[in-house]
Amino acid sequence: MAVKKSRKMVNPSGIKGDIRYGDLYKPGGKVRKRREWRGVKDTLYDYSRWLGIMFTLGKFVAVPRNVKAMFRYRWMANYLAVPMMVDRHTQGLRGEYLRMCHTEQDLIILDVAKLLANLFRGDRRIGNDKAFSDKVVLVDENEMTAVMMGFPGLKGLSRETPSTYVSVLLNQHAAEHYIDVAQEYGLAGDVCPMPEAEAGVSIDDDAPVLGKCAIQCNTTCDGSLLGNGVISRRLEKEDGIPVFQLPAPLRHREDDVQEYAAEEIRRAIKFIEEQTGEKWDWDYYFECARRVNVATRCRNEWLDMNKTAYPQVFGSNLALYTETNYMAICGKVPEFEKADRRLMKLAEKAYRKQKMAAREYRHRAIVWGVQSHFYMDFLVWLLNCWGIVPLTDMLSMVNTEMIAETDTPENREQAYYDMAWLTENMIMRNRTHGGYRVLLDELFEFVEEFDADMIILWEHITCKALDGMHGLFEEKARERGIPLIWVDHQLFDPRVISRQGVRDQVNTYMRTVMQEEPLDPTLEILDDDNSW
Amino acid sequence: MKDLKHLIYFEDLLQDANNELIRQAQSEGMKCIGYMCENVPEPLLNLPGCFSSRLRAPRTGSIDVGTYYLTSFLCEYSRALLERALEGGFNFVDAVITPDGCTMMNRCVENMEVLKAMGEGKEGFFFDYMEIPMKADYNGLDLYVLQCRNHILKPLSENYGIDVSDAAIRKAVSEHNRVCRLIREIGDFRKSETPAITGYEYNVITLATYAAPKHLIIDRLEETLEELKHREPDAKPWFRARVVVAGSEVDDTDFIKLIEDSGAFVCADRFCYGSLPGRDVIELNDDENALTQICRQYMYRGECPRYMDTAKMDGRRAYIDRIAKEYRADGIIFQQMKFCDPWAYEKMMGSTILRDEYGWPVLAVDRPYSIGSSGQMRTRVQAFMESIDIKKIRKEAE
Amino acid sequence: MKKVLKAMMYLLLCCTGLFAVTFVIYFFNLDMKLTSKIEPLLQKHYDRIERDQHL
Repeated sequence: MAVKKSRKMVNPSGIKGDIRYGDLYKPGGKVRKRREWRGVKDTLYDYSRWLGIMFTLGKFVAVPRNVKAMFRYRWMANYLAVPMMVDRHTQGLRGEYLRMCHTEQDLIILDVAKLLANLFRGDRRIGNDKAFSDKVVLVDENEMTAVMMGFPGLKGLSRETPSTYVSVLLNQHAAEHYIDVAQEYGLAGDVCPMPEAEAGVSIDDDAPVLGKCAIQCNTTCDGSLLGNGVISRRLEKEDGIPVFQLPAPLRHREDDVQEYAAEEIRRAIKFIEEQTGEKWDWDYYFECARRVNVATRCRNEWLDMNKTAYPQVFGSNLALYTETNYMAICGKVPEFEKADRRLMKLAEKAYRKQKMAAREYRHRAIVWGVQSHFYMDFLVWLLNCWGIVPLTDMLSMVNTEMIAETDTPENREQAYYDMAWLTENMIMRNRTHGGYRVLLDELFEFVEEFDADMIILWEHITCKALDGMHGLFEEKARERGIPLIWVDHQLFDPRVISRQGVRDQVNTYMRTVMQEEPLDPTLEILDDDNSW
Repeated sequence: MKDLKHLIYFEDLLQDANNELIRQAQSEGMKCIGYMCENVPEPLLNLPGCFSSRLRAPRTGSIDVGTYYLTSFLCEYSRALLERALEGGFNFVDAVITPDGCTMMNRCVENMEVLKAMGEGKEGFFFDYMEIPMKADYNGLDLYVLQCRNHILKPLSENYGIDVSDAAIRKAVSEHNRVCRLIREIGDFRKSETPAITGYEYNVITLATYAAPKHLIIDRLEETLEELKHREPDAKPWFRARVVVAGSEVDDTDFIKLIEDSGAFVCADRFCYGSLPGRDVIELNDDENALTQICRQYMYRGECPRYMDTAKMDGRRAYIDRIAKEYRADGIIFQQMKFCDPWAYEKMMGSTILRDEYGWPVLAVDRPYSIGSSGQMRTRVQAFMESIDIKKIRKEAE
Repeated sequence: MKKVLKAMMYLLLCCTGLFAVTFVIYFFNLDMKLTSKIEPLLQKHYDRIERDQHL
């Protein structure tokens, strides 16, 4: 079968300011030489947002217990790199795209700062605010927080989000210490490094201790399920924090698992009520449900835009925001609804003007598989270096259905199924579980729907669910004539495959198979192994 | 000790997935239902008219094609099975039922399905996948029962006209229990200070009951039991220490042989497709339907690490401690197949807890699917034997 | 009036100065250059903390 042809599109407006982004890197350095020049207007905008981030960080540091925590928890050092994370994701962005990115990133920073402040407030080692801690329910990092949608008086806090998930976004080497700790205790080196690092934090006694109870979920994979066992052991047996294990069915597309899933949600809610004394609040639940629907509608519209010649919310602007808003926020934070609407406005404006985010669009790609967490800005690199437009990614292809949002007796019953559905369809697991159709067949359906001419297939090497489809991905792509670029990585551990190792896989394919030259050759090889 | 009369016969049954008893049962018109995970309740695959065969890939050589499809990061068991299926080695099977237990097993079977590796020319052939509970409680039981009904009984009835009535299930349980009682009785010889059976022999016999139709193997099991009753054990124990082998899937009898050749006696087998708890008798009452009772017993006795509730997690380590005491073990070998995620974690937790909290000497190892005569493993087991010896000497000196 | 103008002038100068300083920090990435020097010191500190490391 013939290879599907790509259509090159040149940005008539060009890109103002710097266009040789590789020149900003300091070889072997931790940080870049300087920030990007984006033309006067956009540079000033970016500067103003930088001031805003500095203000957020300043406010955070002004609280003594947060400083105390900085000297207690190893992972807190990664937060020194917050502004750089934003710089990495805004590379090459101008106009609406830059504003979209800041709308998301600045809000995420604010939200994480709040999360940290809350964790340290309740932490027995730091703030030791017992009354506050008694209102905290610990949740997994990799867990839909749907069961917290009816508890306005409680805080669902994840310790793993700041200690590992965000840390690795900030600093590619953040998880290495914890991975090593877990392996020193006998854990095999071939398991997914994410739950491995989370277990390492627990073993290393580096997690804040707080909360009235905890809800763990089997979430993404076997490793994640088993890693929770390491964490719950310390929580229950040492810290005296009771844990409810919430199993979400793996074959989530099957009708005959939904009742089981809904019942587990009912039980999780009952557990929280019993432990905290709080009562489930239906008004608050439906308010959150409405916000979940707003987010879903917006995401659906962005995806629809991305099916056209002028995609707008894509790449890491789509990926990172979806992960946060869909999973961790799950309708509970009103600010995210405002952000959704602002993003929508920016996207519509750019779409009307037929704007483009880079100098050239050469390929339209579906990015599938699990992204390398230590290199989340890879999608930005794809666009800037090779003109490959990451139209959507696997982790953004989550629930597209509306959930019940009006308070009626029927909807109260339906709500349990909705929460179960959301939990089952958490990012990543909704594709890595549920049978091969959701991972394999639907990828090629999306290729058609989005009119893509390329697949970038992240192969997170220790993700067994993805590895298990390796040969079939390759065969199906070959049958359909879709160029498929394998990008191997080890999620949290750049020592196995470095960022340049990741880039080299694309570089080699683009030069040898596609016979193309990079859009920005300065980005092709970067000495960023030591970089944050 | 004198050789067991049927040992070679049992060994031969394990040499080929499509062994002579499977061929015999199929020639009698019975349907062969392949499965790979202990979370599939075995009696439900042994209803009148069908029998279960636990799929293995004996004499595995190259697994290059399996590795192409699944990559080198999936466990060798799943790769070897896929390779064998693609080679046509499982063409005798009439259906495959698998739980979405571990991801690797699930992907292995999905590849078989997509690649149409099995079932050619077999009318009624099907693949089916089950959700199985991750916690042992009432909700998990409801799920288990429903899944068994929808993904085992329904397709067996619809595709092959198998009788799935309560009476038929009870009959299957009765036959299953006969095998379990025989295996348990044979296994009890391991408790003796001078055991009349080796761990290797026991492993071969037990594994044969998973790989062959039960009704065709019972007479030989009975004979073997009788033989053991009169078998003269060696006057002086031939081993240096007694060990429990615990952990992930083991269907390679060479692994047990290697451990015993290194000076240990495998007195108890707590691994997938061992007899503990895999050959526990299923007790049925008349007050409740058989299916629910089977599922309940499978769920509560299950030692699979994918059970995520605290009671189950603690129970897994307590169970090993209990059997280690019951079978008078001196130590525990905690093994996992390489690249197995669930057992990688369970091995870390189990081996540490059994050592630190229960006070057992523990050797934690990972191993390939087919171990052959690994010098590395032999050295590790020998070193473990020595450490147990030293501990014994120190204890005696105290 | 003159005083007000002077105050405004002073304010403007301050703002301009503040802008100039912060913009230089921003543009030349001085904030990140500073924090990248702090991080290794923190790592040494973390290595010295006693922890109750166990499963």
